[in-house]
Amino acid sequence: MSQSQSQSSFFQEPLAQTPVSKEFVGAPLADKDHFDELYQEKNQSTPVMRAHWQTFFSHLQPKGLSDFNARSQAIERQVRDNGITYNIYADEHGPKRPWSIDLFPLIIPRDEWLIIQAGISQRAKLLEAMMHDVYGLGHLLKEGLIPPALVNGHPGYMRSMHQAIPPGKKHLHIMAFDLARGPDGHWSVLSQRTQAPSGLGYLLENRNLIAAQFPKAYEQMHIESLTSAYRGLVQSLKKESSAGQNAHIVLLTPGPYNETYFEHAYLARYLGLTLVEGSDLTVRNQMAFLRTINGLEPVHVIIKRLDDAFLDPLELKEESTLGVPGLMQVVRAGNVIIANAPGSGFLESPGLLAFLPGISERLLGQKLLLPALDTWWCGEDAAMQYAKDNLATSAVKSTYPPSDRDASGNSSNPSSFASFLVKHLPPKDYALLMEKIQRSPEDYTLQSYVPLAQIPTWRSGKTAQLEQCIEPRSYMLRVFALSDPSGNGWRILPGGLARLAANEHGIASIQRGGSSTDVWVQGENFVQLPILFPSPSIRVGKAHRDRVITSRSAENLYWFGRYTERSENTMSLARIYLETLNSENAQSEKLWRWLDRLCQTNGLIPLADVPDNHPQERSHLPDEALLIQHLNTKTITSVGHNLHALQSAASKVRESLSTDLWATINRCVEAFDKDCAAMQMFGDYSVTLALQGLARANQSLSAITGAQNDRMTRDMGWSLLNIGRFIERLQFFSHILDSAIDEGVLADPFEDTSGFAALLGLFDSTITFQAQHQQSRDLNELLELLVFNSENPRSLAWITRKLKARLAKLTHSETRVEFGRVDVLVHLVPVVNEVDFKDLSECVKECIRQAWQISDEITGRYFTHIQHSDYKIQRYK
Amino acid sequence: MILDIWHETVYDYELPVDITQHLAYLKPHQQVGQNVLSTLLKVIPEPGYCQDSIDTFGNIKTYFSIETRHLKLKAIAKSRVQTQLIEPTLIDLSQGPSWEEVRQHHRYAGHQVIDSSADFLFSSPMILFDSTFSEFAKDCFTPGQSVLKATHALMQKIFQQMEYKSASTDVNTLAIDSLKNGMGVCQDFSHIMITCLRMLGLPAQYVSGYMLTQPPPGKPRLIGSDASHAWVALYVPAIAGFAASGWYHFDPTNDRFGLHAPGSEYVILSKGRDYSDVSPIRGVIHGGGQHTLAVAVTVLPVDEKTLN
Repeated sequence: MSQSQSQSSFFQEPLAQTPVSKEFVGAPLADKDHFDELYQEKNQSTPVMRAHWQTFFSHLQPKGLSDFNARSQAIERQVRDNGITYNIYADEHGPKRPWSIDLFPLIIPRDEWLIIQAGISQRAKLLEAMMHDVYGLGHLLKEGLIPPALVNGHPGYMRSMHQAIPPGKKHLHIMAFDLARGPDGHWSVLSQRTQAPSGLGYLLENRNLIAAQFPKAYEQMHIESLTSAYRGLVQSLKKESSAGQNAHIVLLTPGPYNETYFEHAYLARYLGLTLVEGSDLTVRNQMAFLRTINGLEPVHVIIKRLDDAFLDPLELKEESTLGVPGLMQVVRAGNVIIANAPGSGFLESPGLLAFLPGISERLLGQKLLLPALDTWWCGEDAAMQYAKDNLATSAVKSTYPPSDRDASGNSSNPSSFASFLVKHLPPKDYALLMEKIQRSPEDYTLQSYVPLAQIPTWRSGKTAQLEQCIEPRSYMLRVFALSDPSGNGWRILPGGLARLAANEHGIASIQRGGSSTDVWVQGENFVQLPILFPSPSIRVGKAHRDRVITSRSAENLYWFGRYTERSENTMSLARIYLETLNSENAQSEKLWRWLDRLCQTNGLIPLADVPDNHPQERSHLPDEALLIQHLNTKTITSVGHNLHALQSAASKVRESLSTDLWATINRCVEAFDKDCAAMQMFGDYSVTLALQGLARANQSLSAITGAQNDRMTRDMGWSLLNIGRFIERLQFFSHILDSAIDEGVLADPFEDTSGFAALLGLFDSTITFQAQHQQSRDLNELLELLVFNSENPRSLAWITRKLKARLAKLTHSETRVEFGRVDVLVHLVPVVNEVDFKDLSECVKECIRQAWQISDEITGRYFTHIQHSDYKIQRYK
Repeated sequence: MILDIWHETVYDYELPVDITQHLAYLKPHQQVGQNVLSTLLKVIPEPGYCQDSIDTFGNIKTYFSIETRHLKLKAIAKSRVQTQLIEPTLIDLSQGPSWEEVRQHHRYAGHQVIDSSADFLFSSPMILFDSTFSEFAKDCFTPGQSVLKATHALMQKIFQQMEYKSASTDVNTLAIDSLKNGMGVCQDFSHIMITCLRMLGLPAQYVSGYMLTQPPPGKPRLIGSDASHAWVALYVPAIAGFAASGWYHFDPTNDRFGLHAPGSEYVILSKGRDYSDVSPIRGVIHGGGQHTLAVAVTVLPVDEKTLN
């Protein structure tokens, strides 16, 4: 198409005020046969951009396209900072891939959305009616409206849910529907998800990122806000629960190694729910409870992100360690609402789509408003006939989901397979496929293939020609029906997740490397409130009580605190070690031996007395190179190891950390990894680079501790975090003093000042000391500052005092149990006038012992029921 | 015949157990051919919570939980059941529909009314389809053969070709492994037979229960006295003019069959798709360390003259 044509001819209607930047006219058309979201009437010689895209582009800043690369990068950066990941292989060590988001939203005009909304609303109602029938009177099966193979033969059908009526008489609260837009622009349903549909968290994050890039367009186009649909979900769950507004709702996740864990944490925070894993819950007397640091607390609603089969190892998949033994019993007694109720898995079979029109007539007395793609379940003879005739133009889908083991105990279900398009098979394989279908026809479902509609996407920096950076790509739309206290019981979330295909295989899937984007639904043209972005800091569910701290998060918060402190301390040790070695002053043998010992016991360098352990590692390298080499190794508790442990502990309590804090942690670890890689790259172990890297990480750590102090709610979780820090600090500084005495570093402070200076440096108290005592080398003054001073946050007295206060606060509600003897210092050495190293050494050793003991007691009292929750299954014949 | 059943399960734990939850299928239920005169389940220590319910297959399912610390768990089920005498000689195996007719009966066609046996047509947690089974069953299911005769032949093939060997498999053994090794116990034989039948499109049930093993005078002692027993039931529908429709029971371990039960010395405890639906007792324990398990089953005929 020519660039020289006049601009106005491209547009259906001339736009007022802001003319659209000229570059857009060059954006390519969608592929042949695919519906084009950007242009209409593409068969004409002069394609016309659709009205809503004209409006969208007209609201761009004067820079037009030229800053799109920057916008695109801004999004990528934020995705990394916020740690939005999708763990592809769902494995602990597997790659966590950053979530991939495209720059342009999918814009759905009001009239088109109303069609989708009405159709999905009706289908939501239908699926609920089916649950009601299948687990109730069973008309559909008895009357032959649904084949037994798709119910009784489906592993998602749960016999134990028969006659179990949920408290609100509603089985389904969250449903996802995948829609395809065909070449004619009509929408059809491809599939539906009811067990644990994903996307509700990712789509919020997409909205945050995309709307922030186009604030003017977002506002002027009256894009519908998502907040009220989420609020409706929480409200309707509370309304159905016997506990009403006081209902305690938890979000049950399989845990951090699940591929979509990010969104579980995100959603829990956004909705104001407690994020729990199966072992956080327990069943007593037909009721569900949460293990918290205050004991067991009742749970009334569980939003689950587990597949049904994993919910209860007693009744269901017994090898499941993700579930809650006895939970099904609670469900049947009507004492907990599970969203969605177990047993909806059979609704997800693609084979079912073929029977929905008849079922709708029977259960609702209505024709379906929004069709599904033509679907044939091969288990029916009539459909087999179709399969024979139309195989080449179909998509082949597995009727059943993958199950855990086949007859030979292998981990895949032979009757289950990934969807594929027959046209991508070599023709010689057609016969083989047909043979397979005929052998077990029930396993196969055919769906007619439609080319998916394409939306414009932005390919950063592809070429200098900006218009060439716009590329049409196929997408699938996932929309959600959420339970709502008003209307017919479900509200269709006005938005969704557009999933973009990575290539032209026609099947869009995040797992297959696709990307996603925000979905903008145009609202009616009345004025909306200006603030529309869902912000994670605004909770939909208003906290009606103190935040519940599960035993699990308490433990992770505690270790988050300990590892923060440990990272800080090992960093300063590493720094002082390097500085001392590099110093121009001659060092005493004693000082060197002391520092080397400290680095060994703190895991900064491999232990010297086990030469067999690391034969070559300690060998010929100079001391500073050895330390730099090990700054980020995983085999010992290096600085990098501690930082990663800090990140890991924080990741498990992500829902209780601010986005900023989490982003700071990620940046800190990422930068340190990078710096360490740079130091190692040429094997020259530059001390300057190492000190720079340590300084940078130290700055980030200051930001992390600052946020811990200023940005976190001061609840019991926060207390445990701080107790973790103080215990770690007490141990570290006590150990430093102890070893300093032991090695005689302080024996002669006037002859050899280096030990004195190093000790002050390790306690981070150099400046304070110099301000008070200038160049004095008086041991009494030194010990006063490091041991007894009540204002110095690194003196042992200050630490023990704080620790004692926090512990008292933690236990104030319980019978007053004393933790250890934290005030040991006060008892042992009330005033030291004369330095008595023997007394001091005793005192400091006692501090180390107490720190251990308190740690054990905390673990025993607040965390251990997690270990106790390990269970096993026994059965016999 | 009236039979008394004493079924005792004892767990001894190495370490104390704090919480335990159990599901038990230990109480026989009333059914055609079987009159349950009494049944009770005693658990020691006393469960904090205990409830009976009827599951979707019509079995009595007992859920109980114990929240007091214990080192030993004992469950004793005691039942008295009256069974009917069914003369297998009265069953004409060549009668009734062919196996192809039964299969066609269960093929889905729109708006066709289905019977409840359809719940037993499909693969299930321990019934996993594999062509090895169809190969094994092929020569029993010749074209046009009556379904009863063909199934009887399959039962006899398992009885003859498979070696019964106690403890050669465990409760988690897969049928295919047992078939390939040529040995197993009643659970494996039943799973093999059920898999063959279902792969042919025929509805087959897993039946767990008891049998009187005390041999009648002059008859050999039957296997299965040390624990509960298991066998297979096939549903033959009232099609092709067949009047004697119902569940036909086949015991591939002992080469016995009959309508409603393989014989009058059999007691049905529970019925399901496979062992996983009806394991007599399964539980989740918190704590406990290693445990030892002792199971004792005693089945005794009651002299009806001594009853009032």
